[in-house]
Amino acid sequence: MDTVIELKNVTYTYPLADEPSIKDMSIKIERGKFYGVIGENGAGKTTLCALIRGFAPSFYNGELKGEVLVEGKPTTEFGPGELSLKIGYVFQNPFTQISGVKDTLFEEVAYGLENFGVPVDEIEERVIEVMKMTDIYSLADKKPFELSGGQQQRAALASIIVLKPDILVIDEPTSQLDPEGTESVFKIIEQLKNEKKTIILVEHKVDMIAEYADEILVMKGGRLIRLGDKQEILTDMSLLDEGVQLPQMAILGERLIEAGIPLSRVPITERQAAEAIGQALQKARNS
Amino acid sequence: MWREKLQIHKSNWIAALHPSCKFLVVCLYSFCALLLASFKVGEGEYSLYTIAWFVIVPALAIGSGIIKRFWNAFTKVLLVAVVIIVVQSLLIPGGDTVAQLWILKVREEGLRSAIYLGFSVMNIAGIFVWFFQTTENKEISCALEDSGTNYKVTYVFISTLQMIEILGQNSKTIMNAQQARGVETQGNIVVRTRAFFASLVPLILGAITGTEERVLTLESKGFDVNCKKSRLFQIEKTGREKMVNTIAIAITVAIVGWRVALWIL
Repeated sequence: MDTVIELKNVTYTYPLADEPSIKDMSIKIERGKFYGVIGENGAGKTTLCALIRGFAPSFYNGELKGEVLVEGKPTTEFGPGELSLKIGYVFQNPFTQISGVKDTLFEEVAYGLENFGVPVDEIEERVIEVMKMTDIYSLADKKPFELSGGQQQRAALASIIVLKPDILVIDEPTSQLDPEGTESVFKIIEQLKNEKKTIILVEHKVDMIAEYADEILVMKGGRLIRLGDKQEILTDMSLLDEGVQLPQMAILGERLIEAGIPLSRVPITERQAAEAIGQALQKARNS
Repeated sequence: MWREKLQIHKSNWIAALHPSCKFLVVCLYSFCALLLASFKVGEGEYSLYTIAWFVIVPALAIGSGIIKRFWNAFTKVLLVAVVIIVVQSLLIPGGDTVAQLWILKVREEGLRSAIYLGFSVMNIAGIFVWFFQTTENKEISCALEDSGTNYKVTYVFISTLQMIEILGQNSKTIMNAQQARGVETQGNIVVRTRAFFASLVPLILGAITGTEERVLTLESKGFDVNCKKSRLFQIEKTGREKMVNTIAIAITVAIVGWRVALWIL
C-alpha cells in the first residue's frame, strides 16, 4: 500500500471554537485512489480538506493535535507554495477562485504557472492542453468574471490542474451548479481519475460519488465513522439513521429486495441497477 | 501564438507610450497645474494661466485618438468642477461685484477661488482620466513590476481596480433582488438613498466573506512562492519615451524658473 497522506490521531479546533471540528481522526490515503467524502453539514468535511492541504492550522491558526503527513512529511513543515505543487485545491464557490487580476481566461489559467516562474513557452503549451481537456478553450479570450458558474468552476479546475499536482482536494465543486454544469465537472474529475491522480472529493451529490469514487469516507460530528469500499458503505442502510444520504439506486434496490424481488446485490449506480433488475427479471422468466 | 494575442499593440504613438512615461507626464502636468494656479494675472488677480493650461488635456486626448472615451469619463469630473465653480462663485463674499443675476452676486473673491479650485480639479482629474483611458490595467501592473514594485502591492492595486467594476455589478444584482422582494429601489432621491444603504450591508459582507477563499485560492496558485515569476504579457516601448520625458521635464523646469523669477523680481 502506497500511502500518500496520513492523519495520525488528529484533533483540530478552530480559534475561538468551543469544541474540535475534527476529533481524533486517523486515516491513510492511498496514492492513485479516488476518495469520496460524505456526511451531513457540519460533519467536518471541509476542515478535513483544509488540514490535508495545510490551510489548517497555517492559515486559520487554531490548535492541532496529532500529525497530518503528506508523503511522510508534516504539512506544517512545508514552505510557502511548496504544497501547491503537490496538492491542488478547488473550492465550492467558483466566483472567489478567480484571481481578479487577469483580463482573459487564458491568462487566468496561466496565473499559477507564472507564479512558479515556468518558462512562457511551456506555460502556453500547458494552458492550451488543460483548457482543451476541461472544454474551455473556446472561451480563452473571455473575461473570467463574465463566465457562467459552470464555466468558472471548470476554469478553477483548469487553473489547478495546469500545475500538475499529484493530489487533488476538491470541496463541493458542484454545490452552486446546475445539472449540466455538475456533469461537466464530473467528466473532468473522471479524466483525472483515469490519469491516476489521488482525488479527495467532498460532495453531497452521493449518486455522483457512487459513480466515480473508489472508496468512501463517512464523517459525523468531526469523527470518521466509516471508511472503505464504496459498494459496502453505500449499501449500508444503517447510515441513513446517521443522517447520511445514500444513492437513490441503493434505496430502490433495498426496497425491491424487501418487496421480494431477488436482486443479486444492492445496486449503487444506474448501470448496476439495470443489471441487477435485468438479471432478476431473466431469472423470473426462466423459472 | 497565444502570447502574441495577449500583447497590446496600439496604432497611436501617444497612447502607446510606456505607462511609466505617461505617469511622469501626469505627475509633472499636475505639479505644473498647481504651480500655474498660483500665478495671479491682471487687476483681479485671477489664476488665468491654469485655464490656458487645461487646453493640454483635451489636446492630449485628441492626439491619443480617445476623445470620445475621454469625454464620456470626463463628464463626471466636469460635473463636480462646475458645482465647485458655481458654489465658490456665489457663496464667497469679498471684493467688487463682477456679475449679478437677480439676487445672485458673483464677487471677485468668489470668482478667484472658483477658478483656482475648479480648474485645479479639472486639470489634475483630467490628466488622470487621460492616463487611465490610454493605459490598460495589465500595462500598469507590468510597468509597476518592472519598476521593482513588490508583486503583492501590484496585486492589491490591480485587483482593487478590477473589483470596483465587479462590486458595481454585484450592487445591481442585490438591488434587483431587493426589488424582487418588494423593497422600493426606484423613486425620489430619498427612496434611492435608503435602498442604496440597505444594499451596502450584503454587498460588503459578501465581499468580506469571499476574501478568505480568494486568499486561499491565491495560495493554491503559488502566489507566495519565493521565485522569479514569469509573465505572458510583456510591455512594449514606442522609442519616443525619452523624447516625451525630456519635453515634459523641460516644460516643468521652464515653469518653475518662471515662478521663481516672478518671486525674485
